[in-house]
Amino acid sequence: MSVFWKLRWFFKVEWRRYCIAVSALVIVGFAVLIPPWITGRVVDGIAEGTLTLNQLWLNVGIVLGVAVVSYVMRVVWRVSLFGASYALSNRLRRDIYRHLTRQSSSFFQKHNTGDLMARATNDIQAVEMTAGEAVLALFDGALTGILVLTVMTTQISWQLTLIALVPWPIVGFFMWRFGQELHASFRLAQARFSDLNDKVQESISGIRLIRAFGREGVEDAQFNAIAREANAANLAVARTDSKYDPAISLAVGMSFFLSVAGGAWFIVNDQLTLGQLTSFTLYLGFMIWPMFAVGWMLNLVERGQAAYERIDELMHTEPDIKDNGTFTGDADAAIDMTIHAFQHTPEQPPVLQDLSLSIQAGELIGIVGPTGAGKSTLLDLLARMQEGEGANVQLGGRPVADFTLDNLRRHLSVVPQTPFLFTATVAENIALGQPDASRDAIEAAARIAQIHDDILRFSDGYETLVGERGVTLSGGQKQRVAIARALLTDAPVLVLDDALSAVDVRTEQGILSHLKAARAGRTTLISCHRLTAIEEADQILVLDQGRCIERGTHQELLALGGWYQRTFAYQQLEQVVEAGQ
Amino acid sequence: MKGTFTRLLRYGLAYRPMLIQAVLLLTLATAGNVLGPYLIKVFIDSFLTPGYWAVTPLAGLVLAYLTAQLISAVCFFQQAIRFNRIALNVVQTIREQVFAKVMRLPLAFFDHTPTGSLISRITNDTEAIKDLYVNVISVVIQNSIRMTGILIAMAFLNLKLMLICVVLVPAVISIMLIYQKLSTPVFQQVRTLLSDINARMNEGIQGMSVIQLMNQQGRFSRAFETTSTDHYKAKIRNVMIDGLMLRALVDLVYMALLAGLLFAFGWDFLSPAGAIQVGVIYAFLNYLGNLTEPVIDMISRLNMFQQALVSADRVFKLLDESTVPVPAHPESPRDASVKFEIGAFSYDGRTTVLTDVNLTIEPGQFVGIVGHTGSGKSTLMSLLMGFYPVELGTVRVGEIPLDRIDPAERSRRMGLVQQDPFIFMGTIADNIRLEWDLTDAEVEQAARQAQLHDAIMRMPKGYQTVLTERGGNLSNGQRQLLSLARTLARKPDILILDEATANIDSHTEALIQQSLMALRGHITIIAIAHRLSTVMEADQIVVLHQGHVQQQGHHKALMAEEGLYRHMYELQQQKDPVVSA
Repeated sequence: MSVFWKLRWFFKVEWRRYCIAVSALVIVGFAVLIPPWITGRVVDGIAEGTLTLNQLWLNVGIVLGVAVVSYVMRVVWRVSLFGASYALSNRLRRDIYRHLTRQSSSFFQKHNTGDLMARATNDIQAVEMTAGEAVLALFDGALTGILVLTVMTTQISWQLTLIALVPWPIVGFFMWRFGQELHASFRLAQARFSDLNDKVQESISGIRLIRAFGREGVEDAQFNAIAREANAANLAVARTDSKYDPAISLAVGMSFFLSVAGGAWFIVNDQLTLGQLTSFTLYLGFMIWPMFAVGWMLNLVERGQAAYERIDELMHTEPDIKDNGTFTGDADAAIDMTIHAFQHTPEQPPVLQDLSLSIQAGELIGIVGPTGAGKSTLLDLLARMQEGEGANVQLGGRPVADFTLDNLRRHLSVVPQTPFLFTATVAENIALGQPDASRDAIEAAARIAQIHDDILRFSDGYETLVGERGVTLSGGQKQRVAIARALLTDAPVLVLDDALSAVDVRTEQGILSHLKAARAGRTTLISCHRLTAIEEADQILVLDQGRCIERGTHQELLALGGWYQRTFAYQQLEQVVEAGQ
Repeated sequence: MKGTFTRLLRYGLAYRPMLIQAVLLLTLATAGNVLGPYLIKVFIDSFLTPGYWAVTPLAGLVLAYLTAQLISAVCFFQQAIRFNRIALNVVQTIREQVFAKVMRLPLAFFDHTPTGSLISRITNDTEAIKDLYVNVISVVIQNSIRMTGILIAMAFLNLKLMLICVVLVPAVISIMLIYQKLSTPVFQQVRTLLSDINARMNEGIQGMSVIQLMNQQGRFSRAFETTSTDHYKAKIRNVMIDGLMLRALVDLVYMALLAGLLFAFGWDFLSPAGAIQVGVIYAFLNYLGNLTEPVIDMISRLNMFQQALVSADRVFKLLDESTVPVPAHPESPRDASVKFEIGAFSYDGRTTVLTDVNLTIEPGQFVGIVGHTGSGKSTLMSLLMGFYPVELGTVRVGEIPLDRIDPAERSRRMGLVQQDPFIFMGTIADNIRLEWDLTDAEVEQAARQAQLHDAIMRMPKGYQTVLTERGGNLSNGQRQLLSLARTLARKPDILILDEATANIDSHTEALIQQSLMALRGHITIIAIAHRLSTVMEADQIVVLHQGHVQQQGHHKALMAEEGLYRHMYELQQQKDPVVSA
């Protein structure tokens, strides 16, 4: 129940809707008591022969009036109560999204997408149910139960009420047991269903092998067996589930039997009228829902509680890169990095160490080295996607932490290792950083990135939708769109983090030569595997296991005869082979 | 959609006897249920009101009531089980059909259909069909029979009063139709917006670093908020329609009918010929209460019905796909020769992957096919396995075109050893045997041929060693050898190795080399290799480049000329410094 307490901030925000809903529920609760009571009076009037036409009109009129009032009130509570609960899920969803935009990349490495999505979808839904259905069950179920019980005991007969309610605890016990059974068999059914999923997944991914071995029939048989098991599990669920309805109707039947038998006894002894007995059995029908409401509400609250705790935990995760900087002005595109030792966690060995780098504004810097040398980490430190005490990074003579994050990233255009395109048009994807850029500017950036001609070949040109519902781009095309995107923002510092890996050598050279003209006077950092991309760099750093092992210009490094020279020779031969010579 | 529904129903009609049983049981259950209020009416009018307290008839009445209730409960449970059985059998049939269909679809189908959506067709969509049967069709049948039973009982008691209640039927049908019309578009909108929300959230999580680097957190949050709020508004519209149309409206109709009945009772009592009995009133009021619940039950399942139809439609579409054609008059390959006569081949009809590949492989020859990534060697293998039809040209095995050979015979004669073999939980012997009926001696012979026997004998339980899922307790190389043994156990005429030596150590490679040398001359061996060392000994090496045969000949001859093969060989003599420094 503490989830209601935790959600009190929301009930305060939405107090109007909740007040309206609860008032409407109370009105409905009282209103529905009237028709059975009227019915009893009419029956008595008929049985005793005292009914007059005026009385009849009055009574019928009251029932009709109650009908209209309760209709209106029912609509009112439903719209306000569920409306309020939808407002809660809308709000939580928006808050989570905003909160996620503040988290650093290490957060997204720690929490996988599936887990975050589960919180943003299933958990929110569970909380929404708590704020809506559970409140309904609490007020409507409990309220109706208490009101009806009060009327039955005080207005009709408390002895008869006791007698009529005898079957209910017994049924309650069985309901509880069915619930346990259902829970167990439901979990089993879900497990079998996921087996089914796994099997299909396995068979579809292995389809070539199945064809090659002619195993279609074997696969069919295996699948059918698993599907049969899933069905057997489902039948077990159905078996328990099917007990509910008969059990309830049996209980209602017994309850009616007892109330009529007991009622007859009281009528014979003149303690009850026939009309009262009629009202009584009608009221008894109202007791079915409250019997369930309590269990249902407890279930909803339990789920909502766990879900809200998970959401709460997420919302209380402080971003590990804090936006505490205050500098919002323009800085020079000179970079100074002094890294004593940088590690992701204290237990792990340093990813970068004993490294210093000084870049003048307007320089082209190449960063190369074997896989896992720390190239990306170095570039992440510059963009403050990662940070650490042992790493001192300055932009324009100012520590990057002094910049507001917004301002720092305004100074940088980063093309990350794996390009990410959003479900939007090609033009919108290029204009990601400058949503109001003109078409001419977008096309100019696309031309430099050597993607313009490709785009024109798409069905709708720049308006072609990218992603699942649109065109699927090749790895090289995605990289070039990402480069165009970075070029459009035209920041003082451009960073290409292994952003040319899927682009062929000729296109790469085209991009680089255009880049040179477009980026005159700006700083560019390129990390890459293929050395041809950085031949013209002012400074090349060779990293290996977090240390700088070679440094110099292309010519100097070739002359050095180290890793750089070996790699260059290897890649020369590779190019010959790729060209088919 | 109409066709979809009838097609769905036809599956259920296959279980006619069980369906008839279910309906009969349901009728019996309903009769027992409906009898209850009638017996109470008899009690009130014939015993209570006149004060007639004869023990025997009264005991009979009590017994009848209790028996009716009990039989009703039992029958109700039994019919529910039967309806569930039918539903689950239908789902099983559909699942078996759709899985068998998927296993036999042309491979090109898998290239342009995401695996996820195919899995979803077989599992989730069929699950939705189950819901249609369990939660919609059987509920509609149950509730219709229940309502009919109640109306019949009412007519039995008093035809005039029953006619008042019959008003409910057209009222319900019109509510259903209007509700359907109003709610379907809104319901669809809610669903679409929800999947938009999920897509945006998912994309936001995956592309967050890009959003942050481009300083677009605000814009993306706002876009998300707009979608979330649109969803909220659509849900409010939805709840308004639900509020106005569902329970509240049915309750309004119920109270109006109650008022009508009360008036009719009173009117009858006040008219000179009035002779209505109190028991009849009692029973009518009870019946009326039981009449509204089924109505609400049915209306609230309309959306589920729509959803299930959409799913069924998708499943049927997949079922209607055409499978790989099976030759009408299959012929047997005459020998183990292979002949490629490919003019041109393209997966998508636009980019040509292979051009002018004409190769003749004599029975017993060992042929190596090499080439750089993207040279077309995997495509060539796919064509040899008959994964894709060749439009321009033919692939002949034993002089017979591939598409005229029976698929079962083809997979027996042509053995494929794949890069990533599938290994299931079971003993090593079972993993070699698969579903074939092989003696232990044959299994051992295959393992010896694959040079795996010694390694198996070193394991504590030898051939009975149980492998974990995916073969976690085997080394990479051993898994490859197991795959080779498994294929050899089938005694193929033609052995195809697809990059079978890609990720293995030189020791295993030497072992495989040894096996191949032993088989050489006995069966045709076609090895597609990235590593040239595997095929150095081949009778013939085919060097592919960009889809055509660039060089062809013996290792020595190819090494003698300045060309692609020699450069590839030289390249492979070195290590890539980028991958390992």
